[in-house]
Amino acid sequence: MVQEGEEETRMANRRVGETGLSDSGPSTRSVADGIHGTTPQAATNFFDQEGAAYFGELEKALMQGVDGIRETEEDTKGGPSLFPSSFGSLPTLTTSTTDTSWLIASFFATRPATLEIFPSWPMRSQQTPRGKTRSATSTDLGSAQDTTTSHLGSDSTASRKASSDQSADQEQAMMTMMIAGDGSITGSTPTSQLASEEKRKMTGSAAGKDGKRLDAKTLRRLAQNREAARKSRLRKKVHSNLKSPISDNVIFVYRIDLMHQAALNKQAYVQQLESSRIRLQQLEHDLQRARSQGLFLGVAGSANGAITSGAAMFDVEYARWLDENSKHMSDLRGALQAHLPDGNLGVIVDQCIANYDELFRLKEIVAKSDVFHLLNGTWMTPAERCFLWMGGFRPSELLEILMPQLDPLTEQQLLVIGNLRLSSRQAEEALSQGLELLHRSLADTVTGESLSDGVDVGNYMGHMAVALGKLANLEGFVRQADNLRQQTLHQMRRNLTIKQAARCFLAMGEYYTRLRALSSLWASRPRQRSKQHLIQGVPSSLPWEKKVSSAATMAGPEQLGSKSPIIPWDIHMRKMQPKV
Amino acid sequence: MEEVEQLAAESAVVIFSVSTCCMCHAVKRLFWGMGVSAAVVELDEDPRWEEIDRALARLLGGTPVPVMFIGGKLVGTMDRVMAAHIDGTLVSLLKEAGAFWL
Repeated sequence: MVQEGEEETRMANRRVGETGLSDSGPSTRSVADGIHGTTPQAATNFFDQEGAAYFGELEKALMQGVDGIRETEEDTKGGPSLFPSSFGSLPTLTTSTTDTSWLIASFFATRPATLEIFPSWPMRSQQTPRGKTRSATSTDLGSAQDTTTSHLGSDSTASRKASSDQSADQEQAMMTMMIAGDGSITGSTPTSQLASEEKRKMTGSAAGKDGKRLDAKTLRRLAQNREAARKSRLRKKVHSNLKSPISDNVIFVYRIDLMHQAALNKQAYVQQLESSRIRLQQLEHDLQRARSQGLFLGVAGSANGAITSGAAMFDVEYARWLDENSKHMSDLRGALQAHLPDGNLGVIVDQCIANYDELFRLKEIVAKSDVFHLLNGTWMTPAERCFLWMGGFRPSELLEILMPQLDPLTEQQLLVIGNLRLSSRQAEEALSQGLELLHRSLADTVTGESLSDGVDVGNYMGHMAVALGKLANLEGFVRQADNLRQQTLHQMRRNLTIKQAARCFLAMGEYYTRLRALSSLWASRPRQRSKQHLIQGVPSSLPWEKKVSSAATMAGPEQLGSKSPIIPWDIHMRKMQPKV
Repeated sequence: MEEVEQLAAESAVVIFSVSTCCMCHAVKRLFWGMGVSAAVVELDEDPRWEEIDRALARLLGGTPVPVMFIGGKLVGTMDRVMAAHIDGTLVSLLKEAGAFWL
């Protein structure tokens, strides 16, 4: 008897495993073990976890016929097995309705306490006379819409309260809640609630052999169940059309199918939710990273909010380049302070130059797609933008800044660097004048014949086309300007010793870092905001402000190679005052 | 090709340009700024422009202007000229070709 039940449990578990839901095994086993002497929770758990497997089992059970069920019924009553031995011998359900109906009919005819497939109550309370059970069953069968509910409900309750004519509502409610537990997305919680409810119900009417004693708690539960049943019935209105022509047994099977489907859908939905959650996390992470890199598509676009994709990409790349640059700067600083040999220092200097080459390469790419982004300098900080010339720094200007930092220079070096400054200035002049011509030519083209005489449609588009062609020349100018910058840097590298070159690039990096710091301070200078806001640090809402890393002071004949800490605005202002 | 060589040999510095091209204007300004008087061949005003165009294309690929010849030898387009100027090689080339009024 008990052994048989256990064996059936094992068989059932094995079959469950076959259907691919492997974790059903341990769960059922544990449930089976756990319910000894308490309410079997198996059915609810099965609805919750292994709906598919469970119903596969059920189908099999139904198909195999019900002979011998009656005999084993008494046996299984004694033990808390999940699956009465009958279950193991039940057949698989076919899709044919007629077969189904016949089988179901026969099944239920011979097995009134059928419902032990869904045992929710301890078998011990099934000491009630069979007749009572059957009558309860039939009354439940008689109920129209919630046949499934009633069947399962009657199963749950019949064994316990067969003698107490509990309302069909309650029974239905029980099963409804089981179904509700199954139909809902997170089935485990309701079903566990349900299980616990049932458990409490059981314990509540522990002396419920006669079934007439009800606690207040149980009464409350019953009321809740009734509510749930009502809700469930509303939901099941859709199935009402099946009621009349087909037998209730068939409806029962149909609903099992629905529940089967619901369980599968629920599984799929849960999986979908999980994957969506993961994807959302990834997106949030990416967004945060992009934001920290200063990619503000709305804010950074200033008046024209539309920032092109090429420009946006350049901004991101530039932010990364700034990080690389600061890394090289600190490398250089460390190497100079440590007085590394020329070989090592040379390697670092070469890395630094390679990084600048990389920047020029990036600029070339964006110039092809969006030259105006380079020309308007939004990728630079405001202070850097003061010195904007053709989408970047002016080489001769930079040379004038750097030359004092490179002392001592040999005569030869002085000559060469002087020539470099001269030739870069000449080249700049030439390019500027070329650009001036472009401006004039473009203005002429846009003006056309006359501005005040209105638009002559025929010529208008022609003029526009010519103007477009002229605008395209801008790219050439920006490219030449970048070429000039690159050549200047390389020429400097060629004509300085390694140590001098290291100091030169370090000074250059430090200069631009200070310009960026100045920009941040400018952005945070006291206007309407309180001083408190400043003293706590630099507001880091603008992209380039994140790059502030070192000295705030710009004035004074300090060496650009040294590093000073960030100081609050008011102290900074005091420092900036001319010393009397 | 012969046209080009012939033209290039005519003067110390020869610039093949187009009158409306702004980059050509920049190159011209560069040389004038250095005090070099360069012979300019405006392709849109010269009747032989097709052959010159073809020859330049064969030399450089594409049809870029401006193109510089110094001392009859090809220097290249604006890129090369800029680089050479920063290098200091442009000045020495010019000196060799006798482009400066010394």
